[in-house]
Amino acid sequence: MNRWATWLWLAFLFSIPVWMTNQYYLYILINAGIFIIAAMSLNLLLGYTGQLSLGHVAFFGIGAYASALVSLGFDLEITDSYTFVFAPRPVWVGLLAGILVAGFFGWLVGRISFKIRGAYFVIVTISFAEVVRLVALNWIDLTEGPMALNNIPPLTLGIPGLWELTFWRKVPNYYLVLVTCILSYVVIARLVRSRLGRAMIALRENEPLAASVGIDVTRSLVLAAVVSAAMAGAAGGLYTHTIRIIDPDVFLFIYTVTMVIMVITGGKGTLAGPIVGGLIFGILPEVLREVASPEVQWVMYGLIMIAIVFFLPDGIVPALASWWRDRFGAGGGGAESQSEPGPGPEASGTVTDTMGERA
Amino acid sequence: MTREIAAGETVLAVENLGVRFGGLVALAGISFEVRAGEVASLIGPNGAGKTTAFNAITGFLTPSEGAIRYRDSRIEGLRPNEIADLGVVRTFQKTSVFAASSVFDNLLIGLHRRGGARLWEILLALPRVRAEEARLRAEAEEILDFVGLSARAGEPGGALPYGEQRLLEVAVALAARPSLLLLDEPVSGMNPVETASFMAMLGKIRARGITILLVEHDMRMVMGVSDRVVVLNQGAIIAEGTPEEIQANPEVIRAYLGHGADRRAVGRA
Repeated sequence: MNRWATWLWLAFLFSIPVWMTNQYYLYILINAGIFIIAAMSLNLLLGYTGQLSLGHVAFFGIGAYASALVSLGFDLEITDSYTFVFAPRPVWVGLLAGILVAGFFGWLVGRISFKIRGAYFVIVTISFAEVVRLVALNWIDLTEGPMALNNIPPLTLGIPGLWELTFWRKVPNYYLVLVTCILSYVVIARLVRSRLGRAMIALRENEPLAASVGIDVTRSLVLAAVVSAAMAGAAGGLYTHTIRIIDPDVFLFIYTVTMVIMVITGGKGTLAGPIVGGLIFGILPEVLREVASPEVQWVMYGLIMIAIVFFLPDGIVPALASWWRDRFGAGGGGAESQSEPGPGPEASGTVTDTMGERA
Repeated sequence: MTREIAAGETVLAVENLGVRFGGLVALAGISFEVRAGEVASLIGPNGAGKTTAFNAITGFLTPSEGAIRYRDSRIEGLRPNEIADLGVVRTFQKTSVFAASSVFDNLLIGLHRRGGARLWEILLALPRVRAEEARLRAEAEEILDFVGLSARAGEPGGALPYGEQRLLEVAVALAARPSLLLLDEPVSGMNPVETASFMAMLGKIRARGITILLVEHDMRMVMGVSDRVVVLNQGAIIAEGTPEEIQANPEVIRAYLGHGADRRAVGRA
């Protein structure tokens, strides 16, 4: 039954470009999909290890810039007599480079800051994102600074001489983002249900106990940071090659906040949470744009956000899961709570209580 | 992995262990040994330094001086997980479980050391990883059965009644496959029936070849299960010996009850 639901849902997602001919709607979905990948990556840190990265957009932006630069090529004047020339490479090499470079920075930030966790980690990540933004803004030789990198090529896939597809249009890009979304979901799902993922959850719940049974605290957290950063880098790469222009504004704090909101409203520490949150806050601003003036839009956006956080403090997915359990008994919900260790029992209790009060 | 250790051989040697917090001396150079296969107890009045000694042995704090040897390794100053890797695993004085995870998942987390799947293997979902998961699940079931919590497997750890949470703690520690198990006041807060069944379980753990170092206030339990008792008072060892010797030791009686107390009082304390 659960498996059928998954296949149906996937079939629906794959069918969307067939019946949705409005290209603007597809564009919205592509954008939401990219942010969902980023939100899923943030969820690994925030939801499963319990570490709040408030500079997550840095990894997204690093992936975007790395991928753009590798596929555009660049030259760097090292000394007066020597200039390093990097020839343009195919876009898939760029995407891969974006993932690797972002993953490397995830490792670096993790290494440095997980010795001093909690609030310090938050501060280090915020500062890191700001430093990266300033570098992107001022290293004009490399990044063109505020003039932006233009004409970034879209992805081309194919077998040389036989068949080739360049992702110019919305439909192939939609499928590209969808497939990456599914891959990211599978990576996170497999990871959190494994021995390594259990170690991350253990750290969130009770660090001294985790250490006492042999879990290497720093190693687990750094691993989570690397996977998370690499995935955010992949999202950034997709962003850069679908939008095809990138400037330092990609590092703005507001994007990190958007990701955090997606994770928290959807339900941190659940597999489906960032998807639900990402769909809502990826699509909502575009819907509001059609019905209200910009000022009213932002107010409504904020009100909806506050309402979700206030009435469903654990997020939408845990609330729905516990509602489902209450309504249809433990049968269906049991399997889910086994596989999704995120929502705590007391936590879901609180949700039910709160909902009960309002009802 | 390591060489066989004969019963009675010294496995843990604490030598001149000192811990100071600023000017406060928590442990003033204590030395004691734990021998393979025995149940040793560390007792003493509140604030004597028992938990401090536990924390130093298991890497939760770095000693100011002295050496701690486990089998052939120096372990002072190592991190807790490195010490756990050598087979020294502890429980905590305050109840400590993974509260939001199911009892079964608590065990799976405890079995961390028993698995070896790497990230890329997990992401590719190799058959090796699945086989390992199945093995870990079987081990988790076996340990749950051992401590008698099988019926609770699906419940969140934090939702268990107090006595069962203490059992779960021991189960999680056992999952890490200790050769030396340090229990910090495992029966505090248990009723006499629970304490009695816990003592029986301690016997079964010992029968598995696990050496036990116990910190406990329940004197009936200490005197009932221990082979040797080490008495701490104000950061120093004041007596060491069999339960009978300790109960007869005038200095111990004085430390616990002040002057003028008789030996039977220690037995009851």
